[in-house]
Amino acid sequence: MRGLRVGRAITIVCLLLVGSASAAQFKGGLLTPPRPAADVALTTQDGKEFRLSRERGKVVALWFGYTYCPDVCPTTLADLSQAQQRLGKDAQRLRIVLVTVDPERDTPARLREYVNAFGGAFTALTGPPERLAAARKAYGVVAEKRVVPGTAATYLIDHSAFVYVVDPTGQLRLMFPFGMSVDDMVHDIKLLLQ
Amino acid sequence: MRQTKRFAAIGTAVCFLLAGFALGETVRAQAQTIKASNAWARRAPAMGSMDKMDKSDKMGSMGKIDKMGGGGNGAVYVTLSNSGAQSDSLVSASSEAAQTVELHEVKNDGGVMKMRPVQAIPVPANGKTELKPGGYHIMLLGLKHDLKPGENVAVMLKFEHGGEVRVEARVK
Repeated sequence: MRGLRVGRAITIVCLLLVGSASAAQFKGGLLTPPRPAADVALTTQDGKEFRLSRERGKVVALWFGYTYCPDVCPTTLADLSQAQQRLGKDAQRLRIVLVTVDPERDTPARLREYVNAFGGAFTALTGPPERLAAARKAYGVVAEKRVVPGTAATYLIDHSAFVYVVDPTGQLRLMFPFGMSVDDMVHDIKLLLQ
Repeated sequence: MRQTKRFAAIGTAVCFLLAGFALGETVRAQAQTIKASNAWARRAPAMGSMDKMDKSDKMGSMGKIDKMGGGGNGAVYVTLSNSGAQSDSLVSASSEAAQTVELHEVKNDGGVMKMRPVQAIPVPANGKTELKPGGYHIMLLGLKHDLKPGENVAVMLKFEHGGEVRVEARVK
């Protein structure tokens, strides 16, 4: 009886140690405790159905952006693609996903062209506005259209710039802030794939 | 008398010439205070529907180039150094690669990225300004062709005091 209690205490201490060690190891923002990633049910650039809940066994990097975005979005997508290449044989165990915040202009055809131009390195998703809004809400993403004077752009979109990282068991584990280095991304994704 | 007039005319001409040289030297000296280095552009697709748009509705509606859902945007980054004692600023940029070129700044407001056009990008005296992702960039709107890795895109930079500087931005 007493042995059982000691054993349980040791287990708890071990878990705590493991917990704090892994918390210290990650470079991105760690969600403690991790929580089940809200499902995302949308349509890919090829017109296929996508469900986040069917991506178990992979790390999924979710990014909310738009194709007219010249700076923050292509930077993040390029960095994630580089990180993927650095995973070597595990490259296929990372899925990079762009969820559009501009469904009015980002038609499936436009998304397809965009993905192709980047060598098919990621999957682009769109869908009915209410589903996109639900996905944004589930991940706490802000996206606000702004009509701004002094530009030839019809409108610009202010949007959250985190990468939401889901582990192979479907838990939302990390948030990568904008500008996180490719080295750090690779480091964290490898840890999640272990 | 006539000779004196002639001398005066020659003298005046020489003076103008000298003044011209001096002025030219000044302009040139100013231009040399600004140096642009490490110019690069992000890989970006022109997006094919631009062609269709060109035929039907050249600038989209209301002078906006992306109204019809065509066209792609790109960004050019460069490090600007100012060796002069006077602060300067990048006031405009132009390129054959795009329909419109603007100066933009992105600000990170608590994790929300806000991109806005700016009138100028300051370059401090004896200092430098780095245009980089998540900060300042030269925005190419309505790309006329894809920006492909390994290629160069030519951009002309115009400064308030430092004249014009041409850069070749490497696409990557």
